[in-house]
Amino acid sequence: MFAVLLLPQFRLQAVLRFRETIPNCLLAVTDEDGRICELTAAASEQGVRADMPAVQGLARCSSLQLLPRAKTTEQVLQHALLELADSLSPEIESTGEGCCTLDLRRAPATDWNSWSETVLKRAEALELKVALGVAPNPDLAFLAARRADAFLVVQAPTAFLAQLAVTEIDPPPYLQALLRDWGIHTLGQFTSLPRGELADRLGPEMDRLWQRASGQTERLLRLVRPAEEFAESYEFEHEVETIEPLIFLLRRFLDQLTLRLGSAHRVAARMVLTLTLDDGKAHQHVFTIPTPTADSDVLFRVLHTHLEDLRLIAHPTALRLQIEPVHPDHQQLRFFESPLRDPHRFGETLARLGALVGAENVGVVELEDSHRPDAFRLVAPQFHQFAPTVDHDEECLAIGLPLRRYRPHLPATVRVVRQQPVEIQSSEVSGRVVDLLGPYRASGEWWECEQWGVEEWDVEIEGRGLYRLHQEPSGWFIDGCYDAELR
Amino acid sequence: MHAAAKLIQPSENEPAHSSIQNRVAALRELLHRKYPTPELRETGILPTSFEAFDGSQGGLKQGAVTEVVGPTSSGSLFIEIMLRVLGREQAFGAVVQAGASFNPQDVSSAALRRLLWVRCPRPLTAVKAVDLLLRDGNLRVLLLDLQFAPQRELQRIPASTWHRFQRLIEASGMVFVILSSRPMIEGAKTRIVIRQRWSLGAMRQRRRGLMQTLAPQVFDRRDFAALLADEKRSA
Repeated sequence: MFAVLLLPQFRLQAVLRFRETIPNCLLAVTDEDGRICELTAAASEQGVRADMPAVQGLARCSSLQLLPRAKTTEQVLQHALLELADSLSPEIESTGEGCCTLDLRRAPATDWNSWSETVLKRAEALELKVALGVAPNPDLAFLAARRADAFLVVQAPTAFLAQLAVTEIDPPPYLQALLRDWGIHTLGQFTSLPRGELADRLGPEMDRLWQRASGQTERLLRLVRPAEEFAESYEFEHEVETIEPLIFLLRRFLDQLTLRLGSAHRVAARMVLTLTLDDGKAHQHVFTIPTPTADSDVLFRVLHTHLEDLRLIAHPTALRLQIEPVHPDHQQLRFFESPLRDPHRFGETLARLGALVGAENVGVVELEDSHRPDAFRLVAPQFHQFAPTVDHDEECLAIGLPLRRYRPHLPATVRVVRQQPVEIQSSEVSGRVVDLLGPYRASGEWWECEQWGVEEWDVEIEGRGLYRLHQEPSGWFIDGCYDAELR
Repeated sequence: MHAAAKLIQPSENEPAHSSIQNRVAALRELLHRKYPTPELRETGILPTSFEAFDGSQGGLKQGAVTEVVGPTSSGSLFIEIMLRVLGREQAFGAVVQAGASFNPQDVSSAALRRLLWVRCPRPLTAVKAVDLLLRDGNLRVLLLDLQFAPQRELQRIPASTWHRFQRLIEASGMVFVILSSRPMIEGAKTRIVIRQRWSLGAMRQRRRGLMQTLAPQVFDRRDFAALLADEKRSA
């Protein structure tokens, strides 16, 4: 058997996806040429027709709402349809816009009615309005899908075809007119005519049409493998001024995307949120998920945290969310390591901390491979992926008190006698130097243009405490204190 | 209502002041019976492996606020001690600083991998950051370093903040230590006072030796109140 998954009124579905519409709304989709390509039944009742110029449509129905084609959403819909088909059969064909054919000949014999009901439920969960046709060959399955309210299983092809109008098989206009003149209106009447004589008189085109009408055509499917792309997008009619519409749509996006991830046995490792702005630029943010998951609540919290603190210079006009999938990680929990209780929550907390103090002020220190003072960078912590290592007791070798740095270091006026500092004056600390250690000289990167060199002193300032000074060409500075009673 | 009404009416034979005291005591008892407060949970003790710090209780209390008071060296040495504890316990911690005085080059890179560093411009921001981390509850140790914060700004932190932190930490069971230059946390369960000052000779000694020579005084809440009262009296 073959099955065809068809999205009736594909362009209209794409436009109305994630859009709350009132029933019987007067709505039409226009293409680039300004012609109506698809419309609602209510609009059709008002005399509006497909292929009509938009202006003519408005003349027939003044309250008609015209919306342009949503091409990105159409791509998303087509992809979702192919994914659904791929989860049902390994051999699928992307037959056309909003149409997909499945080869089910290798599927075990089953009750096709209950199978169809299951497929429709899955499509409904993905917010796809699908018509499903099941038949012994692809073309027949397509016809069944076109005629189906929800699904139609063709068990007796001849009886099914006999009742169909000739126009259902899309004959060339001249043949259609000829058959109409002959009084042939249904496929049953058409196939009752002798095939050989028709072919002799009207040529091979008529022969092919007869074959289709009798449901005897056999063709090979052009097999495709859908790319693993999990994305949803939406174009707003007007600029968005608050985050509520974004939050609402992202929630629905995630519900859909996690369902699709679940059917593909994947989990989300990264999310890419793109907001197209009305000034032509775009805001893009990549979220790395601490522990890849397909839990929509967890993913939504990550997005929500980001949007809560987001400040944009322009209004968003379109929204796109893409998920990068990975295979679920089956790692064993470590026995001695105490991992994070809830890595997702920790990820959210990090995002909130980043919003509070700036992302550059939160992280784990990574020392740079340099002897330059204060050379380090802050990187995002990876506690959930922490590789257990034996922590060598390097601190055993550490000497002296740890330094408390002033950032930026304090400029100081230093009186020097015999090349040694003897008195210091600065905004933070002033006094006579009673003891000192140094100088400790260091330099580096002389092979680069950013060469550096410092001369450091550890000093004890009378009545104040222990401090570190350094001298560079621009003057003296206090780096920090080792021990001081702060006032 | 009936019990409360009884409390309001004084007995005729009682002197005025004792009757008020009795009634207040009775009211407290009644409130306690009606609205019992949950018993404070102390989920355990985290030993530091330094006898002077661990004292009689055997380590730092989890699920309680600890305050370390002293000069700047006390704060930096205590941060190092906690980094060693994190390494030993194979756990993760965070240090939230008002300012950014931590010098990572003094610490081994292995220890740094276990530490989240949050640099805050002001003490009030640091308090907000701590609030987030306490609610998160994923980390084992949380240090709030206020030693470098100006006293004037510290006074702007509402006293209720520390009580709120106490409630939060009871739920998470973390070790929460506040480093300050003078006592400021009213509800601290444990207060460690370090008065030790160093000379330049310390810069030639092994750091582990310096830590071991620290002589902190560990007070619980009541002891410290008594100590403060004694100090005031002697002053």
